[in-house]
Amino acid sequence: MSQGFDKMTKKGDKPKPITLEKKDLFTRIVSFSPKLLILILILPVLCGLICVLLPALSWLPALEKTTLNLQGFIDLWQTPSIMQMAALSLATGLISTLLAFVIALMILAAFFNSVWLQRIEHLLSPILVIPHAAAAIAVGFLIAPSGMFARLISPWLTGWEMAPDGMFPHDPYGISIILGLTLKELPFLLLMALGALAQPELGKKLRQQYTVALNLGYYPITAFFKAVLPLLYPFLRLPILAVLAYASASVEMPLILGPNTPPTLSVSIIQWFNDVDLTLRIKASAGALLQLVLTAGLVAFWLGGEKAIKAIFNVSSVNGKRHYADTIWQKVTAILTVGVIGFMLLSLAGLVLWAFAGFWRFPAMLPEQFVLLHFQSAFTQMSTPLVNTLSIGAVSTAFAVFLTLLCLEAEQLSAKPLSHFTSFIIYLPLLVPSIAFLFGLVWLQQLANHQSEFFNVAFAHLLFVLPYVFLSLASSYRRLDPRFAHVAASLGAAPIKVFFQIKLPQLFAPILIAVALGLAISFGQYLPTLLAGGGRIATITTEAVTLANGASRRTSAVYAIMQMALPLIGFIVAWMLPKYFFRSGAR
Amino acid sequence: MRVITTLPMLKRLTRYSTYAMMMSICIGISASTASPTTANINQDLSPWQQIEAQGSNQDVYFYAWGGDPQINAYLQWVGDQVDDKYNINLVHVKLSDTSEAVSRVLAEKSAHNDDQGSVDLIWINGANFATMSENSLLLKQWANKLPNFALTDPENNPTVNFDFGVPTDGMEAPWGQASLTFYYDSLSTSKPPTTLNELTAWTAQNTGRFSYPKPPDFLGMSFLKYVLVMLHEQQDASTGKNTSAQLGLPATEENTALVLDPLWAFLDDFHPTLWRSGEQFVQTGAQMRRLVDDTELSLAFTFSAPEVPAAVQRYDLPQSIRSYAMSDGSLSNTHFVAIPYNASHPQAAQLAANFLMSPEAQAKKQTPSVWGDKSVLVQSTLSPAQQALFKTKQPHPSALPFDSVKRTVSEPHPSWVEAIQQGWQARYGVSP
Repeated sequence: MSQGFDKMTKKGDKPKPITLEKKDLFTRIVSFSPKLLILILILPVLCGLICVLLPALSWLPALEKTTLNLQGFIDLWQTPSIMQMAALSLATGLISTLLAFVIALMILAAFFNSVWLQRIEHLLSPILVIPHAAAAIAVGFLIAPSGMFARLISPWLTGWEMAPDGMFPHDPYGISIILGLTLKELPFLLLMALGALAQPELGKKLRQQYTVALNLGYYPITAFFKAVLPLLYPFLRLPILAVLAYASASVEMPLILGPNTPPTLSVSIIQWFNDVDLTLRIKASAGALLQLVLTAGLVAFWLGGEKAIKAIFNVSSVNGKRHYADTIWQKVTAILTVGVIGFMLLSLAGLVLWAFAGFWRFPAMLPEQFVLLHFQSAFTQMSTPLVNTLSIGAVSTAFAVFLTLLCLEAEQLSAKPLSHFTSFIIYLPLLVPSIAFLFGLVWLQQLANHQSEFFNVAFAHLLFVLPYVFLSLASSYRRLDPRFAHVAASLGAAPIKVFFQIKLPQLFAPILIAVALGLAISFGQYLPTLLAGGGRIATITTEAVTLANGASRRTSAVYAIMQMALPLIGFIVAWMLPKYFFRSGAR
Repeated sequence: MRVITTLPMLKRLTRYSTYAMMMSICIGISASTASPTTANINQDLSPWQQIEAQGSNQDVYFYAWGGDPQINAYLQWVGDQVDDKYNINLVHVKLSDTSEAVSRVLAEKSAHNDDQGSVDLIWINGANFATMSENSLLLKQWANKLPNFALTDPENNPTVNFDFGVPTDGMEAPWGQASLTFYYDSLSTSKPPTTLNELTAWTAQNTGRFSYPKPPDFLGMSFLKYVLVMLHEQQDASTGKNTSAQLGLPATEENTALVLDPLWAFLDDFHPTLWRSGEQFVQTGAQMRRLVDDTELSLAFTFSAPEVPAAVQRYDLPQSIRSYAMSDGSLSNTHFVAIPYNASHPQAAQLAANFLMSPEAQAKKQTPSVWGDKSVLVQSTLSPAQQALFKTKQPHPSALPFDSVKRTVSEPHPSWVEAIQQGWQARYGVSP
């Protein structure tokens, strides 16, 4: 205390007493943390990319191949239906992203500034934490020829006594994949938009503009598109590109819902990698690079589309027209929203029914009996995957939250926001298709420490947990009222004390949410767990994907429910705890 | 200012959460760095006793297909047993395809990891074995030295020394025997086909109610091999030539067209009568089983006959299911466990492999309610007490009746797998 008093008397009444000339250890760690963040995100991705390039150029010492050539790319080019695979990846990625984006915008536009927006947010946000594999399993249960839809209308309407020879899932056009991806990404985009609107200054400004537009006689939807969207969109760009990159290169969804004659490119790459014929790894690496090019092409296409749309609608946004069939769109959106939510609820209902079902012959709408057998048998085998899931999630999330907090503190201590470069880098692991850099990363990890799969997996998870934790915490941290810190510092508190005793308590609720989000992201990781763990680390998600294509529909439902329950428990705890500890934490 | 008043509590909370974080990190570190203890080697012991001494108290990472809860539960039982016997910690690494483990070992070889491999034991046969042995990825001459290997009567029972016609050279310990078994939904069809010709007539009448897993799935390949063998037997009977003999020889450029063209001609006609008109295929046998439960399919097949009654008992198949074997022949083979050349715990893996071959483990595995996989042990080599372990109770109505396999058909040379797979992929792997 006396030391702090000295400092204060020496420095007088300066507003920023935290930036001391003599940096203590804490301050030094804090100011180093953004560099560490960049290092942790860039190095694995770049090294991973380089290390996938070598085998793509036929450099695979294990097969006594040490000369560089283009054989992998030639093989890839000669693969039957390679164009179809690439087209399927491109189309499912682009269309699902576009649909998710458009529906999110329509919901925003139709319900902007209405109580319904918050209700829809509450209904949809649990979807955010459902891992892709579980969502795919649930959607599959619904649209299969023997699924809930068919059961609801059979046999009274269709006359089907046995399941028809249908088309979904696994339809050749990838419609099932598009459906699954759209439903899964829609809540993410919606919540990112609402997150941007929650920023005090931006949100206030946009709401004012919107009100002005309404007062000027613009219809609500038109007002949203003309007065709100142009300013809101820049905040959505990176999330959309992340969705686009993910959708074009994802593995779980096409594996569970997609066709296999041929499958999407990413699924083929994984199959080549795991093929009995080991030389196919060269083709797989070349395929991973092709995937990278395709995804980059989609991103470029999207950015070009942005410019085109901006140019086309530049005039009409200021043409003064007050409405474009707004009432019809309002109704369409309402129906669409009900449809989306109904679809999700029905698929969840199907999932729950299967998890408890005894004999359940088509076309019965309900199972003949309800049993707990599937839960019992699943739980006898679940302990190891469960412990793995939780401990990997805990380690990667704890590290991600801690590093994020330090970076955000660095931002405040140096009083200048993180550079554009850093903000972009945070998205890097989400923008580069993971299938492209994970193979290389795994190769590196095996070289470095092939005996600790646990840490390899936790580190691979960190690459995906970190961005989400950062995004989740950044806005709350930047919104902190700086006066508390200034008062504390002027009373002589060292930066470390200000950080731990002033700032973190105020951030109790957001930190818990970030932890829950980090855990949810980690729980849902499939590819990183599979590759970095070499198949030795089983989590609930890897088991769920294995079971989705194997064994029993009922066991697979149990695993999908577990996949959903774990992150939900995390979020419920994160919402409840602040209410008991600090009432100020509650929003 | 409420924040300030709650500071002490938060201090405590921060401290607790820091402890919790540190704890979880410590647990993580200790879990991942726990290393096996090495036992002393005593020169006076027999080779097997030395292996017992070295292999005890270690981990065994057993890479095995994990798509069937019944098999997973059996492996859990095996884990408990070897834990009691040798204090071995058997970890079942569940694969969705065995080739994942093959590529894992290859990746380790490429990273020059020649003695710290992650795979200790692997469930394998056929093409995967051929690949691993060609690339020298397997430990040699250990399986034939296991004490329980004698119980398979290798002198008179060559199937335990050959994997799809390829000599095992002691690289594989036999684990079980399987033959292709068909099952059908008796509510959908009363008279299932029992020969290949009946099958084509049946699918023509019941379009969309039959399919087979897409190659390279093991079960799908097995179905294609059954078709191939049957087609050649029919052809030989009508022409008097002996093209069947080519199936036992390696596939070459000269004989590939001769052998496989009848198969493609057959499939061209057959596929349009299948599920989704043969434009989409199931990925695995388990997925095919699920479609039978969904009533999308009325007829399917499996290599492990007992999975059918077990699935009915778990509600995963309807009660109306019945099993049978084709009367014109059932494709049969033996499956094995192998140890990679770079296994971290090769001695412990041998102890586990020897236990898998013990009368106790084999009898348990053959029990229909457990797994029902046919034992590789020859009854005459067993003591009466050991033979008694194999006596079973009344089977489930959906189970394959005893002695239904009238005629077994042996596997073609493993090189045909690749030839069939490539040809199939080029013809049918892409949508028309």
